[in-house]
Amino acid sequence: MKYETIMGLEVHVELATKSKLFCACSTEFGSDVNENVCPVCAGMPGTSPMVNRKAIELAITAGLLTNSEISPRITFDKKNYFYPDLPAGYQLTQLFAPICKNGWVEIETDAGKKKINLVQIHLEEDAGKLIHDDWMDTTLIDFNRASVPLIEIVTRPDFRSAEEVVAFLEKLRSLLSFADVSDCKMQEGSMRCDINLSVREKGSDKLGTRTEIKNMNSLKAIAAAISYESQRHIDALETGEEVLVQETRRWDDSIGATFSMRGKEDATDYRYCPDPDIMPVFIDDEWIDAVRSNLPETAQDKFIRLTQKLGLPEYDSEIITRSKNLSNIFDETLQYYNNPKEVANWIIVELLSIAKGDNKGEDDVRIDCQKFAKLIELVDGRTINRNVGKKILSLILEEGIDPVEYVEKNKLGMINDTSLISSTIQEVLSENPKALEEYKAGSKKVHGFFVGQIMRKLGGKANPQIINKLLTEALKEI
Amino acid sequence: MGIFIEDYNVSGADTVALEDSIMQKGKQVTAGSKILDNFVSPFNATVVDRLLDGGFKISGRTVMDEFGLLKLSHDDNNTPSGAVRAVSEGISAYALCNDLFGRYREEAPQYDCCYIHPTYGTVSRYGLIPLASSLDQIGIVCRDLSQGFGLLSHLAGKDPKDGAMFPDSKYCYGKTDEKITLGIPRSVIEKADADTRESIMDFINKFSSTDIDLEYFDLYSQVMYILSSAEISNNLSRYDGIKFGYRASGYTDIDDLYTKTRSEGFGLDAKLTAIMGAVVLSKDHYGPYYEKAMKIRRLIKESINFDTYDVIVLPCKISDDPYENLALYSLAPLAGLPSVSFSYKGYGIQLVAGVKKENLLLSTWEVSMA
Repeated sequence: MKYETIMGLEVHVELATKSKLFCACSTEFGSDVNENVCPVCAGMPGTSPMVNRKAIELAITAGLLTNSEISPRITFDKKNYFYPDLPAGYQLTQLFAPICKNGWVEIETDAGKKKINLVQIHLEEDAGKLIHDDWMDTTLIDFNRASVPLIEIVTRPDFRSAEEVVAFLEKLRSLLSFADVSDCKMQEGSMRCDINLSVREKGSDKLGTRTEIKNMNSLKAIAAAISYESQRHIDALETGEEVLVQETRRWDDSIGATFSMRGKEDATDYRYCPDPDIMPVFIDDEWIDAVRSNLPETAQDKFIRLTQKLGLPEYDSEIITRSKNLSNIFDETLQYYNNPKEVANWIIVELLSIAKGDNKGEDDVRIDCQKFAKLIELVDGRTINRNVGKKILSLILEEGIDPVEYVEKNKLGMINDTSLISSTIQEVLSENPKALEEYKAGSKKVHGFFVGQIMRKLGGKANPQIINKLLTEALKEI
Repeated sequence: MGIFIEDYNVSGADTVALEDSIMQKGKQVTAGSKILDNFVSPFNATVVDRLLDGGFKISGRTVMDEFGLLKLSHDDNNTPSGAVRAVSEGISAYALCNDLFGRYREEAPQYDCCYIHPTYGTVSRYGLIPLASSLDQIGIVCRDLSQGFGLLSHLAGKDPKDGAMFPDSKYCYGKTDEKITLGIPRSVIEKADADTRESIMDFINKFSSTDIDLEYFDLYSQVMYILSSAEISNNLSRYDGIKFGYRASGYTDIDDLYTKTRSEGFGLDAKLTAIMGAVVLSKDHYGPYYEKAMKIRRLIKESINFDTYDVIVLPCKISDDPYENLALYSLAPLAGLPSVSFSYKGYGIQLVAGVKKENLLLSTWEVSMA
């Protein structure tokens, strides 16, 4: 390969605070349009922003998790530009004294481990949302999101491949979501990533023309956008047909290409200046220590606990610790039924396959962990068999039934009565002479067919181990 | 020009007029600008709540220069401001306003009134339509400084809705028995006309005094103009015709809406200031203008240390050019200091004291009036 791609990221992460960055309005997702708006976040004159300490704590948390220096004194600055979704005509952000500096995150790809350096992490407010109303042919504004707190994580140009970018974002998502800094959902926009990309000949110490790519809302889109944009740069360098310009480009996922956005970036002078209404915030060691001592378990810590203390296989532990949600379900269920292996199994095999069928991701599965635990205990204690258990799991998810009550009410308790099972086996063998012939001719598949038939006759409730054992004995005698 | 935009027709010793920049719930508040046409305030300014809690009555909303801007585009209209007229004509006992550029501080003595400019961060700015946030300060036009400070004691004190305040919840204003030494910046006083100088000298003779040098005085107006323009241009950017206030009709797209709304809604001074502010904050000018002005502001603050004097004496007028006069009124807002201005033997005098040293100002005034 003659060329190398050099990339740096700007990652915006929405902080999981209850209220906005500078006022008491709720940050709840999915509220009615303009429900969470007050004079402060609507940019009315006469109001003054009051900094949300929880947002500062979450930013400190992000800093600690990324090995950053935490600034002892932070300030907020105005970034001026006019757009209808920006109520005050400026965005409050941090240019001169950002909260975290010089951090790093270690990533792992097939090429090995690598340190990605961070320039800074700063706090800023989000903008509102424009909604085009086709019926009225007009544009309306929803300010619910205006002033919701974000952190922007700015990396150094340390990335050389899409794999590294994806590994970094996955690591970031894991770190931040496990510490409840953010839910980091790219699809919902609570994690957004802009990529600065340039291409140069390998060995050259000069950087090529840089473009910024925006609007990718999944890791897949990010990988595709990097691949497209790198190739576009290489083609331009090779053929000279297209002259590269420094600009911002928008990724179109449906077309699979980037397109130049209006030359907004270069024309705009943001006229940054300090906001005199916000006094500097001082962050002393005591505060940092308090945040540090409350840091929850990271995914990595949890992986070690699962594999070493609980004795789970690495594969299972890896799946559970990939998602904050799954690992929460795991921990909570374990509190009600302390059998790590079985709980992990039910999450990975049964819960995730139902979720997949419902088009839900690992982060979106919701279950009452107490009921889930009872169910696993019923199967594990051989009160019901696994197939009945699976059906009950669906009912817990869909209707919220209580598994113990349900099993009692519907008499789903497992049949362990050997004489009943034996007589059913004899019935099935005599009703299926053709299959029996096949068995005698050496077809082992038929064994499974018989099990299914026997189970059906017993309403699906029989103990499969006993069926197996008795059936094998019965077939031997023939 | 009249006195009131809206006259509530009340009278008495407990009446307070509000400059049209101070927000009152349910009232139309325009800060003298067309751009805020039809803007109805959704809340009361903290000072309004405190006035009402203190048993005062609001007498009306007074007319004002657009946003209280420095008028560089001169009109020949020489009538005093609404706030000063309301008090001097006996219609209202007090008036509240935001005097950034000295108009009220200069006018009050001319019409036999006094003006109190409190220490920055002691009176809440919540509900004050902002001009330049680091310089804005609600002040009081009154007939008599001891009454004025009586009113101020109801208004001052920390408000959780204003992020830039001292923590004190209450301030007590009264005479002190401290012996007061005046600081006399002779080179500044010499710029005033002969009669004013004579009156100031007479005033000074009632106290012990020491000559002082106001370092950077020649830069006061420039620093004030650069910093206020920058902050004003920030604060005006919220008026875009989108969410509240005036919106022009007949626009074709968003840029046209902004352009038409602002062309029609802002007056000439607002436009000039917004452009000047944008210039001093732009990439190439931030360092040589805005940042440098911030540094000089800090030097000015540090240069006024009140180590050998308690109160600085300044004239209220040294020129007919508002920009030159601005220097006199820049010290208090730039350094966050309290000041008073009043008439002494027919001529305006301004006193400036240290942070939260309002009592020295009151005592000096009382001694001089005795």
